Amino acid sequence: METDGRASDPIGSDPVGIESIVVVGGGVAGVTVLRELRRHGYTGSLAVVDPDGLPYDRPPLSKGYLLGERTAEDILLSPADWYGQNEVELLAGRVRELRPDDGVVLLEDGREIAADRIVLATGATPRALPIPGGDLPDVLVLRTRDDADRLRAALAPGRRLVVIGAGLIGAEAASAAVALGVETTLVDPVDPPLVPAVGPELARRLHDLHAEHGVRVVTAVPRAIERDGEAFRLHLDADAASPVPPARPAPPARPAPPARPGGADGPNGNDLSVTADVVLVGIGVRPDTALAEAAGLEVDDGVVVDPSQCTSHPRVYAVGDAARTRAADGTLRRRAEHWEHAMHSAVTAAAALLGRPLPEHGAPWFWSDRYGVHVEGVGSMVGGEATVLRFADADAAGPAASGAAGAPPAAGGPGAPPGNPVAAFRLAADGTMLGAAAIDGGATIRAARRIIDRGIVVDPAQLADPTVDVKRLARGR
Amino acid sequence: MSDAINLGPAVEIEEGEARVVASEEIGTDDDVTIFHAEDGNFYALDDTCTHETASLADGWIEGTEIECPLHSARFCLKTGEVTCMPATVGVRPHKVEVVDGDLVLYPNQAP
Repeated sequence: METDGRASDPIGSDPVGIESIVVVGGGVAGVTVLRELRRHGYTGSLAVVDPDGLPYDRPPLSKGYLLGERTAEDILLSPADWYGQNEVELLAGRVRELRPDDGVVLLEDGREIAADRIVLATGATPRALPIPGGDLPDVLVLRTRDDADRLRAALAPGRRLVVIGAGLIGAEAASAAVALGVETTLVDPVDPPLVPAVGPELARRLHDLHAEHGVRVVTAVPRAIERDGEAFRLHLDADAASPVPPARPAPPARPAPPARPGGADGPNGNDLSVTADVVLVGIGVRPDTALAEAAGLEVDDGVVVDPSQCTSHPRVYAVGDAARTRAADGTLRRRAEHWEHAMHSAVTAAAALLGRPLPEHGAPWFWSDRYGVHVEGVGSMVGGEATVLRFADADAAGPAASGAAGAPPAAGGPGAPPGNPVAAFRLAADGTMLGAAAIDGGATIRAARRIIDRGIVVDPAQLADPTVDVKRLARGR
Repeated sequence: MSDAINLGPAVEIEEGEARVVASEEIGTDDDVTIFHAEDGNFYALDDTCTHETASLADGWIEGTEIECPLHSARFCLKTGEVTCMPATVGVRPHKVEVVDGDLVLYPNQAP
């Protein structure tokens, strides 16, 4: 799946006369470039520029770090002494300008840094809500450690939080807020969100977890945010919310949780207004491409790169959320925003810089956590022919699991919906697997990933059978 | 303590599978997991991933590496070194041998 030789390879050092490399941005992509270059024996000068100083990992910012379970030191991507030990210069600051033709990166403080090659790992910036009041200064986003510190400071027990956007970040933040005793409302125009990521069945289950844990879930489009003294007043339009019909038949409807009285302050038709002390917006990101654009590089919702992560300038590479790949056949791929993709793109860029063979990375993977539940997805749940569901125990399994009988489903009665699905597998017409998603099923997803990457055709009945270890299906025994 | 401990027949752990030995039984800081790697050999490492809290015994054995079940960090089964982030700190390796068909673990001894 990826390059794997740990030993330094002296042949890999300085193969094409590169004496200096500057990495712009210290997220997982930027730091992976640094580590990979040194691991494979690059001996030239190496610097990373990031305004936040010591690079840290972002996924914990909406999980353990937000909850106060992990410290700033816990989430560092490399120990503080790694940079010195590996002769990596850590430049806390911002880049003003890329001058690849001159082999220079210019910092905002005026310093010029030699750069035979530049790697852009600039990441992305949260999108602002494009409504009146969406740009109020105290409307929060969650991307950096500073953002997380600011949000954490605002989340005191009894305070009222509205999270706009129930994607991965919004869901994780809502989960953390409830755990901190915050009165939390989650707003999204789509019910359920995340269908493209995990399929409709697990998306339903995951979205239902919010209400089960005391979050008020509102399906509505936000229309405006106003200040109301120290608080905010949000105007929401439930009519405009369009529960997107699933592309295939939905699973049996689950009983809706009872409406919480006093949920919305003033229902008026389908216009709701909600009062909040804290507003967090998590509606996606836009790639940080300003430096690339100013340098004249090709940009199209991301810095356009070839399969070696090289931009339209041969001395500039781009990795992570900021990059968008143009495939060998000329088509622009959708820009990926997950952690592992960032790391993989960086491994590729480092290989390309050192003239090493480019690694192959396989099906994309992500994880998320909410309410103590671990979610993973691999490959694609969009397209294909059929979904196979796996339920937690044999007694509650659907018809695909033969011989299911015995204990009544939790809801009771004939025709009651089965138990909750714990995994969904998306299959193509030829029986190969395209994607999989699972709740608390890391081993299942690791197995599914091999099944996808190796084109293994497995029996759908076995996939559905919770007594069958998916690992054995992947290993072909 | 680092006395050799007989863990019973090696054939009880299939290739690609792992077995946890509780720290109380063997006097180690962490539980120790015996991995039957795809090179046919057995390796022993501390069980807990150094990134967050997960049991490496539940992970995926690929060749002579173990992939954490939570965030896919990878460790070399032979040395415990990190081979893939998000972990940045290795796990402790322990010496394990097959003697007359039995697995013999030397807790806290380097392989």
